[in-house]
Amino acid sequence: MAPTACFNCKEARAVIIRPKNRHKLCRACFINIFETEVHETIIGTNLFFPGERVAIGASGGKDSTVLAAVLKTLNERYNYGLDLCLLSIDEGIRGYRDDSLETVKRNAVQYEMPLDILGYSELYGWTMDQVVEQVGKKGNCTYCGVFRRQALDRGAARLGIKHVVTGHNADDVAETVMMNLLRGDLPRLSRGTSIVTSSDASDIKRSKPLKYAYEKEIVLYAHHRQLDYFTTECIYSPEAFRGSARTLIKDLEKIRPSSILDIVKSGEDMAALVPVEVRGAGKSKQLAEEESAGGCGSQNGRTSGGEMAAMEAQLAENEEAESLETEIKLHNGSRVKANRGPTGKAVKAQTIKHCERCNYISSQRICKACTLLDGLNRNRPKTAIEVGVGMEDEESSSTLMRQMERAQLSAT
Amino acid sequence: MPAKELNKICMECKDAEFELTVRKRQLCRRFIAHKVQSRLSVYRAFGLDGPKHQLLLPVSLGVSSSVLMHILNSDRQNRLSNGRPLGYDFKILVIEPSTIAATGVPFDKNFEALQKNLPMHDITRIPFHSIFDYVPEVKEILQEYAGSKFIDDSAQSNEQRLAAFRASIATPTSRTDVDSVLLTRLVVEFAKKSGCESVMWGDSDSRLAAKALAGVAKGRGASLTWQVSDGMSPWGVRFEYPLRDLFKAELLQYESVCAELSDIVIPDQPPSENVLTKNLSIDELMLRYVQNQGAKYPGVMANVARTANKLNPSTSGSAPTCALCASLLGNVKGNSGVTVANQAEDNHSSQFCYGCMRSRPEELC
Repeated sequence: MAPTACFNCKEARAVIIRPKNRHKLCRACFINIFETEVHETIIGTNLFFPGERVAIGASGGKDSTVLAAVLKTLNERYNYGLDLCLLSIDEGIRGYRDDSLETVKRNAVQYEMPLDILGYSELYGWTMDQVVEQVGKKGNCTYCGVFRRQALDRGAARLGIKHVVTGHNADDVAETVMMNLLRGDLPRLSRGTSIVTSSDASDIKRSKPLKYAYEKEIVLYAHHRQLDYFTTECIYSPEAFRGSARTLIKDLEKIRPSSILDIVKSGEDMAALVPVEVRGAGKSKQLAEEESAGGCGSQNGRTSGGEMAAMEAQLAENEEAESLETEIKLHNGSRVKANRGPTGKAVKAQTIKHCERCNYISSQRICKACTLLDGLNRNRPKTAIEVGVGMEDEESSSTLMRQMERAQLSAT
Repeated sequence: MPAKELNKICMECKDAEFELTVRKRQLCRRFIAHKVQSRLSVYRAFGLDGPKHQLLLPVSLGVSSSVLMHILNSDRQNRLSNGRPLGYDFKILVIEPSTIAATGVPFDKNFEALQKNLPMHDITRIPFHSIFDYVPEVKEILQEYAGSKFIDDSAQSNEQRLAAFRASIATPTSRTDVDSVLLTRLVVEFAKKSGCESVMWGDSDSRLAAKALAGVAKGRGASLTWQVSDGMSPWGVRFEYPLRDLFKAELLQYESVCAELSDIVIPDQPPSENVLTKNLSIDELMLRYVQNQGAKYPGVMANVARTANKLNPSTSGSAPTCALCASLLGNVKGNSGVTVANQAEDNHSSQFCYGCMRSRPEELC
């Protein structure tokens, strides 16, 4: 069979079938189109300003490596005038992180960017291996996710940088949309798709320039540019809702490749339709710690089912309680509204505060990381009730504060 | 023995014998009927002061819509025989199943049974291709939508023309998607022509969950506010989903205790086991997903439709809408995403919305 010519330049031999739309492209056109699309996303959303210092959250994996490579290329090609650097978090997962950090160190040399590595043990007094030893493999992603988000912000603050970019791709965003729909989580549905997540109370802006880039294309891009990245999956499993959403999205992609982007589009539209009173901390604002936990890009679909079963039990309980309620009719007209409104669930309004322990931004008195640390330090896993657990016990969670002080001291 | 008899009493009304087990509770059929009727009380109120509110009930002769019809009819008969006001009246529309699915089973007997069962009712039966009569402009819209490769032969019958158009769509996902768009338009146009202000869709909770997930997956998230939620459709006819609190399994139970429904309902075809995922339509994938997951987590699946029902309808007012499905063109107000801009090659026609563009015959994927 004669080789197919590139769909774009019509000259060179096509070597790639684009996962997004099945166009057959040559290597150069694919790389160019991929970069141009990221550039269009950046321009279309006014993501950066000239002279901005930007930290790239680098894990050594494909997403962040491609992000670093593309940003470096675009920064030079289009004169963004960005001051880029790499910021890595060492979760302390032996056999997973050790090697990938080596990759990041090589990337720093290859891309001529300064690198800063911040460890969980340094920050929290616990490595992920120690956490898993304590809580078991179920639910450990919550710890990792919460810890990592804070760690990136703290790392950026340490470097005096106000903008952190992460390698979240279109698959991750689509997964989050589906997951929040399955969880019935409207506040997160209203925020999960926005490219920039920041809040008035925090200095650090977060963004995901690869939001519209397919995971498969990121892999292809890394392959064809021969980027040096570390291929491995996190050895711990994702939580059930994310796992279920992930399996669903993989199936959808087989049926209609565009569906990942279509879900992102639906998610963006639905975010704008979430009633204002349910959105939480203001329009398109987000508490960094609230960003969907567990989205570490691990690609395995294993699920424990625990979270879904717990939610099922909760919903069944609600329904039983509802069936015991007596309906009171005020006047006939009000019934339609009653049917449309939230089903008896009080809407939680979120206000931005600072954690009383570590001063990190939080919607609660005590931030999620400190609450989780409380549980860990008390030699037992996280409790199901997130608010107000053990707040009186000031002693147990001073670890984070101590570690933070140490981190700040060493930075100065 | 009295104790034994007590065990057979409906846990809800404490009066009739129980017939169904709904969410671990033993209940009589009135419970299910009540769940539906409570959603209709607003129409009852409307009709008290003025003319009766006219509802259109599209019946596919499947389980869910047939059960809805049975409940509405029982309610009507009860009220009439007790001399109580009804407030609303409903018309029944059957779009001939054999003109929708190629493998459609004969339904004439089912339709006759339906007429026999509801002799006093206004029941209309129309074929799918009558969309060309009810919505004349649809011919031009479809020609534009299908693109240059599709040639509409006006010498052919409506039936042949619709078949040719449907055959030009390559994938099961797009075919199912466009079919449901066209069926909705036909129902809406029939409703308008017959003076109905609202359409009562017979979607069960499970089906609504699948519709919500599939809608999102097809880029139609913005349309969930009328495709899954109760509310005003873009055509000025209200859409209601009175079965939204009931699982498919519960409707099946109801059907099984109503002898008169057995001749009317065309049983569901069991899903074929040997289909590769990539050959399913997205709608079918989601139905299967909701069924499988619903067996284990029924509440979680039910919650999906409830979540979608909480979204606010778009307030874009006079913004341009899709010529085919009437969804919004471009982004919902407040959405600054650039998905559409990134898909520049798809944007050569601004007449159709994002979701419809994905299902076009010329679209490869």
